[in-house]
Amino acid sequence: MKTKIQELRTQALAEIQSAGDAKAIDELNIRFLGRKGLVNDLLKGMAKIPADEKPLVGSLANELKKDLQDAFAKATESFDSGNGTADAIDVTLPGRPGKVGGLHPLTTINLEICDIFTRLGFDIAQGPEVELDYYNFEALNFPKDHPARDMQDTFFVSDNVVLRTHTSPMQVRTMEKQAPPVRVIAPGKVYRCDSDITHTPMFAQVEGLVVDKGISFADLKGVLTTLIHQIFDNKTPLRFRPSFFPFTEPSAEVDIGCVMCKGKGCRVCSQTGWLEILGSGMVHPKVFEFVGYDTSQISGFAFGMGVERIAMLKYGIDDIRKYYENDVRFLNQF
Amino acid sequence: MLVSLNWLQQYVTVEAEPRDIAHALTMAGLEVEGVHDRFAHLETVVVGEIVSAEPVKGSDHLQVCKVDAGQQTFQVVCGAPNARAGLKAPLALQGTELPDGAIIAKGKLMGVVSEGMLCSEKELELGVASGGIMELDPALPTGQNLAMALNLSDTIFELGITPNRSDCLSMIGVARELSAIYGVEMRLPDISLPEDGEPVQDITSVDILDPDHCPRYAARVIKGIKIGPSPAWLAQSLLAVGVRPISNIVDVTNYVMMETGQPLHAFDFDLLEEGRIVVRLAEKGEKFITLDSRDNELEPDMLMICDGKKAVALAGVMGGLNSEINDNTTNVLIESAHFSPMSVRKTAKRLGYHTEASHRFERGADHEGVLFAAQRAAQLMLQTAGGVCAKGAVDAHPVTVEKAEITLSASRTNVILGTDISYDRIVKYLESVNMEVETLDQDLMMVRPPVYRVDVSRPEDLMEEVARLFGYDNIPTTWPAAAMEIHRADPVRDFGLKLRTALCGQGFREAINYSFVAADTPDRLQLSEKDKRRQTLPILNPLTEDQAVMRTSLLPGLFASVAVNVNYQNKDLALFEIGKTFIAEKGQELPTETESLCLVLSGANISQSWHGKAVRTDFYDLKGCCETLLAGLHIVDAAYARLSDDTAPYLTKGQCAEILSREKRVGVLGKVRPEVLKKFDIKQDVFVAEIDVTSLLEAVPEKITYEAPPRFPATDRDITIISDKAVEADAVLAHIRKMNHEWVRSLEVVAVYEGDPVPEGKKSLSFRITYRSDTTTLQDKEVNEVHEGIGKEVMSTFAAA
Repeated sequence: MKTKIQELRTQALAEIQSAGDAKAIDELNIRFLGRKGLVNDLLKGMAKIPADEKPLVGSLANELKKDLQDAFAKATESFDSGNGTADAIDVTLPGRPGKVGGLHPLTTINLEICDIFTRLGFDIAQGPEVELDYYNFEALNFPKDHPARDMQDTFFVSDNVVLRTHTSPMQVRTMEKQAPPVRVIAPGKVYRCDSDITHTPMFAQVEGLVVDKGISFADLKGVLTTLIHQIFDNKTPLRFRPSFFPFTEPSAEVDIGCVMCKGKGCRVCSQTGWLEILGSGMVHPKVFEFVGYDTSQISGFAFGMGVERIAMLKYGIDDIRKYYENDVRFLNQF
Repeated sequence: MLVSLNWLQQYVTVEAEPRDIAHALTMAGLEVEGVHDRFAHLETVVVGEIVSAEPVKGSDHLQVCKVDAGQQTFQVVCGAPNARAGLKAPLALQGTELPDGAIIAKGKLMGVVSEGMLCSEKELELGVASGGIMELDPALPTGQNLAMALNLSDTIFELGITPNRSDCLSMIGVARELSAIYGVEMRLPDISLPEDGEPVQDITSVDILDPDHCPRYAARVIKGIKIGPSPAWLAQSLLAVGVRPISNIVDVTNYVMMETGQPLHAFDFDLLEEGRIVVRLAEKGEKFITLDSRDNELEPDMLMICDGKKAVALAGVMGGLNSEINDNTTNVLIESAHFSPMSVRKTAKRLGYHTEASHRFERGADHEGVLFAAQRAAQLMLQTAGGVCAKGAVDAHPVTVEKAEITLSASRTNVILGTDISYDRIVKYLESVNMEVETLDQDLMMVRPPVYRVDVSRPEDLMEEVARLFGYDNIPTTWPAAAMEIHRADPVRDFGLKLRTALCGQGFREAINYSFVAADTPDRLQLSEKDKRRQTLPILNPLTEDQAVMRTSLLPGLFASVAVNVNYQNKDLALFEIGKTFIAEKGQELPTETESLCLVLSGANISQSWHGKAVRTDFYDLKGCCETLLAGLHIVDAAYARLSDDTAPYLTKGQCAEILSREKRVGVLGKVRPEVLKKFDIKQDVFVAEIDVTSLLEAVPEKITYEAPPRFPATDRDITIISDKAVEADAVLAHIRKMNHEWVRSLEVVAVYEGDPVPEGKKSLSFRITYRSDTTTLQDKEVNEVHEGIGKEVMSTFAAA
């Protein structure tokens, strides 16, 4: 019996060796190891051998089975990895292309800002882009014939109607509808008649307003610091400096350490190391008076920022006009 | 505004580096936008000594000079008449950039090499003399840097003064700020002067006929002056802050304006008829020629300065040509007046003027500063132009100004600022900016700001003063405590976001176009006369013709985007835009703003690759996109029907459809007509879908109700008919649906074929019907029976004869 096993092993290995292709190997595999194959035929003879030899012969038979299985696997593998077989394809050829779309970078940044504020518990409001003088100026404490109106080059539709020059009208519209506390941001398009490498006649702003009892300038600093640290990173330095907006008092402009040169001074920051990024301040009591809030009870802060500027800094875009050209070579990068 | 550090140092002594001063000013609210070395252009200008000067052959005035520059001698060709051997003069070496922008380079003049330039005062902006090269003191060391030799150094700050701080539109104003920031003494100039003439009241008078527009008018008269160029210090001071010197009298008025912030005007007194001043409103149709020779048509609410007979100045804006200082002037009347900001602003705006004077008056000048400025001007005129000053000043002030009284609470200040600043410290800060503070109790104080602080009228204004002097940097950083409450999100905004995300997933790029378009876009789109999109909202002051009206459709913007991209050879495009369109409505102040969505496909839908040839985009690509979008929104009842009205005349007849949901139109789609595209400079096919976002949102089911997957299997049967070519697939499907058999679950078009062997004018249509029962597994036989019935019905209705 032992000899038979040995013979079968020799025969099988020789035939595997001389097989020419994967198909021949498959056939041999069936002939030797198949259910009605030679190995099983041999094992049928097991019943006839003496009981004391059975364990040894059994283990030899198992060994044979395993060795042949290994030999077949190896042989199959060797044929598979070879070239020129029918199943092989050129996996380096490009796949069938799917289509890739994408959001405009201004939308992306807008969403990012909105997301930060919704996480902080702010509502999001939107309003008309063609706006009454009352909301755009008057109720924001820009009296008629006041030089502060020169700060914003205005597109006029009529004496009384303008393209909103900022998202700040939403402060008034929101407070008219809602009693304090107010926590709202208002993203949207705004318009100014100005056009050069740093100005487009339409651009995107996000306005913010917080009104409640005991809201302070220190709170303004906190919320805007959080915002900047979320948009850029926790190490971005900020500075608040006094400025003027008719609808806030005290007012502050917010600069961040130049993200390009890290404050060393470069072309982007005009060598100052700082970039102006936000206007803000405590809501002017006149604005509260226009909407009928009790200024002895509440206080609040407001802020506004340009989305283009933030996107420029985040992505390194150097020409603001690119945003509105919709060149797909630009859009495809976002 | 430009501010010279040297000039500031006349009033205040600050021991700090210019950069630190700039930072301090910025952090106090006077933003420094630039810091410049006033004499940077002198870096490569040295004291040169002319060793020899020989005439250049063939020239009547040029000389070739050998100039000793200390280390080296240069050959310089010079045209100045005063160039002579032995003279020391400024020598600009190669590479020097002169204030006028010229760069000195080695060159040849009439064939003679010149290696530098000998300069005049004017060329170096050190004075006004331009007749020859500047003659330097022979004692100056040859070769030394000129700025060093002349001890010239100054720093110029470029300040962006916010409109509220008119008190800082002057050297003294900025110095006052520095005095408060650094806690140093303020020194006002001594303005004493000899008044040797007759009393001014005997010479002239001032009548203010309109005190509302002119609350105060002061005048001084100097006789016997001599017009000439200003002395160097005066010319230098003006040049340092960017004012062009003209003549001593005019320069003094400008100097005092820059010094005090009070705009002044000097009249040639002899040109004032009757030798007096009348302040009145213009008459209807009155005309007036200003200093710049412009003939202005006046309106009745414009304030005029007049003499006994005629107008002589546009109050607070500009003087008149008829009374200006000229070379023959000997007697001068100095005007130092206060005009109402509103009046000056209206006049200047309407006539298109923005002058140094109007800029200051519009923002609010110092009502109490007029006499000081008049006297300072008189003093300097005597110094620079001689003459005799009349005794005293005429001071007509029909309106007096009371100081504002503001009650400030220290505790409220700390609540608003989030600080803990002591009462005493608050007082100290306010007093440092010249506010009078009176203690009322432990918390309250009465504050009287100086009259020149026109921006301070409320407690909050005082809080800002405290905050900026305390330092914004020193205010703590805290976070508001807020209740955890939530409001419902704006559904339109959320929906917009959903659409954007879905479209990006379908391979579209988001575009954003300007909201304004050219006025003729409705014509170019061939919109019908009654189309609402003709109701455009015009902008009164557009930047360009292409941005003249608010858009009533997103199409023109996206067409422009397509044109731009095709121009850049990006021809295969899938773009979308979501944005507002604006329809002007009669009797409505504001237009109706509608959120719209527009999709655009153009070029190849599948580009050429080793997988196959390029496939051009067609109608069904875009329709597929719309179907996918709506399916993703669970709008299951959407229908598409041939568009037969004139909603979209810009779409090709026969290749456009409306998108319906519950019989309501939510949008249209189709192929744009080539002749329309031509008007937008596009030469390739473009397919567009326009969807009204609000209508689409209404079509979205409010909630999703789960249905268990069917328990029994479905089975398909096909049906093919030969019909007239004109039969629309949807008509057949609708007919089958209408039969309303309970087993019919879904219908699908599986093939459309025209051509052999189908006869001409006919087509073959194949449909697949899926049958399923909710209660049992259907048997082939029963399905066949039903299917046959449906087939017969369809054949009899649609099959071609």
